[in-house]
Amino acid sequence: MKNIIDNKTSRRSFLKNSALFGAVAGGSLTGFNVFANMTEEERIKFNYEIQKSENVIYSACLQCHNACSIKGKVYNGILGKIDGNPYGPQTMLPHIDYKSSLDNAALVDGKVCPKGQAGIQTLYDPYRIRKVLKRDGARGANKWKVIDFHQAIDELINGGNLFGEGTVKGLKDIIVLKDAKVAKEMAADAKEVGKGKMALADFQAKHSGNLDKLIDPSHPDLGPINNKFIMMCGRIEHGRKEIGKRFTNNTMGSKNFFEHTSICEQSHHIGYKEVSNQWVVEDGKGKWTGGKTHLKPDILNSEFVIFFGTGAFEANFGKTSMAQKITDGLVNRNFKMAVIDPRMSQTAAKAKWWVPIKPGADAAFAWGMIRWIIENERFDKKALINTTYAAAKETGETTITDATLLVKIVDGKPTTFLRANEIGIGSDTEFVTLVNGNPVKVDIQGEKAIYGDLNISTTIKGIEVKSSFQLITDEAMSKPLGDWATICGVNVNQISEIAKEFTSHGKKAGIDFYRGAVQHTNGYYNAVSIIYLNMLIGNTDWLGGMQVGGGHWHEDGSKHGIYDFAKANHPNKLTAFGYPITREGTKYEDSSLFKENGYPAKRNWYPHTGAIYQEVLASGEDEYPYGIDFLFLHKGTPLLSMPGGSNAIEYVSNPKKLPLFIASDIIIGESSMFADYIFPDTTYMERWGTPHTTPDVAQKASKVRQPIVPSITDMVDINGEKMPINLEAVYIALADKLGLSGFGKNAFDNNMELTRSEDWYLKFIANIANEGGGVSEATDDEIQLFIKARRHFPKEYMDITRLKKSVGGDDSLFRKVIHVLNKGGRFSDYKNAYSKAPYTDGQLKGFLKFYVENVAKSKNSLTGLNYNGIGAYEVIKQMDGKATGFETKNGDELTMSTFKEVFGGQSRTIGNYWTQLSLDPENVLFINKIDADSRGLENNDWVTIVSDANPTGIIDLQNGTKIQVKSRVRVIQGIRPGVVTMSWHFGHWAYGSTDVVIDGKTIKGDARRKDSACPNPIMALDNSVKNMCLTDPIGGSAAFYNTKVHIKKV
Amino acid sequence: MEEKTNARRDFLSKLGMGVVAGAVLSPLVSSASKLLLNNEEGVEIKNFEGKLEDLLGGDFENIKLKMQDDLRRALKKPMKERRWGMAIDLRKCIGCNACTVACISENALPPGIVYRPVIKEEIGTYPNVTKRNLPKPCMQCDEPPCVDVCPVSATWKREDGIVVIDYKACIGCRYCMTACPYEHRMFDYGEKYSEGLPRLAEYDNRPSFEYGKIWERPDKHSSPVGNVRKCTFCAHRLDQGLLPQCVTTCIGGANYFGDLNDPDAVITKIVNKLNVFRLKEEMGTQPKVFYLT
Repeated sequence: MKNIIDNKTSRRSFLKNSALFGAVAGGSLTGFNVFANMTEEERIKFNYEIQKSENVIYSACLQCHNACSIKGKVYNGILGKIDGNPYGPQTMLPHIDYKSSLDNAALVDGKVCPKGQAGIQTLYDPYRIRKVLKRDGARGANKWKVIDFHQAIDELINGGNLFGEGTVKGLKDIIVLKDAKVAKEMAADAKEVGKGKMALADFQAKHSGNLDKLIDPSHPDLGPINNKFIMMCGRIEHGRKEIGKRFTNNTMGSKNFFEHTSICEQSHHIGYKEVSNQWVVEDGKGKWTGGKTHLKPDILNSEFVIFFGTGAFEANFGKTSMAQKITDGLVNRNFKMAVIDPRMSQTAAKAKWWVPIKPGADAAFAWGMIRWIIENERFDKKALINTTYAAAKETGETTITDATLLVKIVDGKPTTFLRANEIGIGSDTEFVTLVNGNPVKVDIQGEKAIYGDLNISTTIKGIEVKSSFQLITDEAMSKPLGDWATICGVNVNQISEIAKEFTSHGKKAGIDFYRGAVQHTNGYYNAVSIIYLNMLIGNTDWLGGMQVGGGHWHEDGSKHGIYDFAKANHPNKLTAFGYPITREGTKYEDSSLFKENGYPAKRNWYPHTGAIYQEVLASGEDEYPYGIDFLFLHKGTPLLSMPGGSNAIEYVSNPKKLPLFIASDIIIGESSMFADYIFPDTTYMERWGTPHTTPDVAQKASKVRQPIVPSITDMVDINGEKMPINLEAVYIALADKLGLSGFGKNAFDNNMELTRSEDWYLKFIANIANEGGGVSEATDDEIQLFIKARRHFPKEYMDITRLKKSVGGDDSLFRKVIHVLNKGGRFSDYKNAYSKAPYTDGQLKGFLKFYVENVAKSKNSLTGLNYNGIGAYEVIKQMDGKATGFETKNGDELTMSTFKEVFGGQSRTIGNYWTQLSLDPENVLFINKIDADSRGLENNDWVTIVSDANPTGIIDLQNGTKIQVKSRVRVIQGIRPGVVTMSWHFGHWAYGSTDVVIDGKTIKGDARRKDSACPNPIMALDNSVKNMCLTDPIGGSAAFYNTKVHIKKV
Repeated sequence: MEEKTNARRDFLSKLGMGVVAGAVLSPLVSSASKLLLNNEEGVEIKNFEGKLEDLLGGDFENIKLKMQDDLRRALKKPMKERRWGMAIDLRKCIGCNACTVACISENALPPGIVYRPVIKEEIGTYPNVTKRNLPKPCMQCDEPPCVDVCPVSATWKREDGIVVIDYKACIGCRYCMTACPYEHRMFDYGEKYSEGLPRLAEYDNRPSFEYGKIWERPDKHSSPVGNVRKCTFCAHRLDQGLLPQCVTTCIGGANYFGDLNDPDAVITKIVNKLNVFRLKEEMGTQPKVFYLT
């Protein structure tokens, strides 16, 4: 018997392996008496402790942005199991009533995806960092020493000869503009200088005492030196996002707070925002403002959904809530789908149509459908002729479109909407349509119900005009259906069949699209073209059509919250000014740089978008418009996750180009390994947050993320408050030592303090708990349960009186907060989403536009040419409008595409062995059998992958290590020939995969994490800017699917 | 019936298993086996306040809650009157493996042991292609070929139909692994996911709660290390009035579970449809896992 169970690992080596290793090693094996076997008697007295309400803490996942509501089950102080929160609409369908007791809810487990289940392995990853690390060698050398938290903060502030490489400028010399009043005045004037409305000399005279605080006194519109502090965040969500912006913008006075959305699906958001933004007239002046960035089909009530460059079962936003709505529909009620994706996904496998489209030609498919719908008059004419909201009301619609509004045509090109004053029938805030051929002024909000003509092409008072509907009709008719089909590489019948199906269900059809359709250089145009299809059947706000979702209670207090963080609660806040380093949200033409240099600008400016992740380091390297002095990277790994990101390794490795670089990370990652200092961070299971909910969910939902277990990171004492070392602790310490506003004592109005995380997050949660009447107060028993469920926390970490102080000490409010915490958030009951049938409960009630004047008025800063007002099909291009060079290839190249396996999450799931090892331990390059045969490739053959941008396929870590991008191939049928694809969460060169040395001790990496490739290092760069991937100039999306590669058998 | 019995006998003889060996060793088996037979008389579920479906606060259908109510009702009966069964609707299985991982996590399974794999296949030729996903838990056969081959009687079919293993009795000979026509049974070599890393991770030390007990696996010599392991329909959860983890966590809603003896249960209505099949029915194993297509 011994022989059978004797295995190669002896108990002795087992013990050795569990010994502590410097800063990386975790603490004790709390809670488990590992080496004591239970007696048989103890074994019999089994009690399923893990299911009891006193061992449950509800929180929110963050293995992906879907941030599902989760039920953390604690066993002997350890997070033992993650399930879905039955109170949450994402994790149970239908979810249980909010008033259900905690004991009853404990009896019910909701659903969570495999990635969410495996979150436990993110929390307890043996490579978690516990202490602050400082590099002990060159950048990227993987050599570290442990440094005291406070000493690290001091060094960052004071600078000096920190690494024996010469003097480094500290934050005290970067955050130089600290006077709130001065900053506010300079901000206003600098903007005027940029616009040319204030002379530079006047500015310099007025602010002569503070010119030394500017990046460039001759270009004050670049802002203060403070802007050279850059806060770059990867996966960041509400709660942390707001405190990060507060710290960066209003404490540090820097314009540079970034999220990562452009490497996700930003152009999709920008497409929706521009199409749905509103024409608002105030004080006689009109402007485009607002707009909704995301709508989703109401799948539960829909009869047909097209998934365009996305699906519902593997990624998206998100599978846990969407999947069952679809599968129930497929089996129970003849629900149908079409999936447009070069890869046969799990969603495509269940769809009636799989359309293996040519990557980047998405708009052509949409325009083919538009043509068929217009030719066959299958659009909802009754909805489209509603010119004003009054007309919509009469005809039972909640939204209007610009279909009937007139757009001026100059030299054959549409420019702006015709305003009523231009033909002398009204004001410059009113539009114009024709009613039975007669011009009528249009106040869309006015009382008059106007039904305009749809197809208009005429000249009024010498002005050539067309209706928006005419513009899209012209574009659709510009090519025969067969040509549209050829461009996107699909069978023409698929276009007409899907167009017919789409228009056969009244309002009960919709199109969901995500990154597959928009992470291209033409991403914004693709987005808008696809949105037109939804507009043509007038499905917005209808059950079964497109919905904005149930929304949330406003945690930032912007809707009469107790603590309003949107407008108040930051005494002496700095006004950040100048241009973000990415030049987002800014028109080049409104800058002093334009006045000096004209076209072409050195790099593009992006008035319509934000969060352009790939521009941050590339612009810093180019010092355009200025360089980076201090990079603070949080929970992101741009070098791994950006297309062509490894190209930036050279820049971040060089302290002469990038003087200070710190990271906040849970593990030494692919990018943080190049940092000067790494501050350990808490995982989502050890900290707070208030994430938002996907529009897929029709019920109002405010989730709360809260610590389920104490932090694995060390505790630190900051001014008497003990807290885990994490991002918030760094903010608090830096603000304190720099003597800046917004943190510490008197951080908020009414002398309230922000001296620990809870002071921030519990106020957010108080807003959620209190809005609109609020939740009921927790009873004494429920408070006891709250305390009992947290008995595994150190007292100073989860002290009930301190928590109460964080929400101002009010007993009633605190009880409401406890109520919300006890249930993991605040959730509207299932039935509430259907009180307005046949309309959705949450409504856009918006003005959807075929013609986006706002974009048509902007110019590409490299070409000086205006963008299109309609979402025309455009070929893949460089930023400067020139061809990429791909067109001239000889034909044996393949188009690289990427996707994500259901269990993968970009950079942070490789340590999730339950999924990585049990489901698919190795990444593979999926290739169609036709392409494999023609190259003599068979399953499991190794190939190298190269491209123009990376002709050797080598990643140079600049530390002596070079990695060849290579992979095994998997030969399949379910992919478009000519396209290859890889899942996008392998190919690690850090994150526990490589040896690191800490305080002279080597910590061995785990080779299982290193396997296979990440496709990003071979992705195409934009030759017009050189150091950045191909990018959508309007929406800012990074191009993930526009690279041509060659593969070669090894 | 006779035919099935013969089939099983034939099957066993083909394997050339020593039924005799079992007889010889059986006196060594401890009476601990009885420990696996909890809930014989039916149990009173605590915190039971009416039907869980009522928690919905409206007249909606939530199949999972309905099935959990079915389950709680079944638990009130003596064990021998219950007959647990599972149905998996392949039309609704999206191949996400949530079940696989939930099961690994719930049962604290080590590397190499997966109670709930999902077999994925691509079918067809481009562009007429699709994918098929087939989750494969233990079939909990009514005529389990794995049971009779055990030389120490460490595995048997419980009165409620679940095929169990007594870890204390199992000698790890692995005959049953060979006998299982579904290749479901797996051997626990005592590995841990984080073995050899800077420290042993907490998740590798969380005990398993299988069979309503606490199994800590502290070393390479303690059960269930060195034993054969298998899916139990989460028997420890059933006893608590909870559905198996693969059922609760299924994001496609493809899983059904309940007492096949209960004519009013969701499961019973589902398995009696034309589109139902079972794996390797021809072997006479009488699986209690049903598939819907």
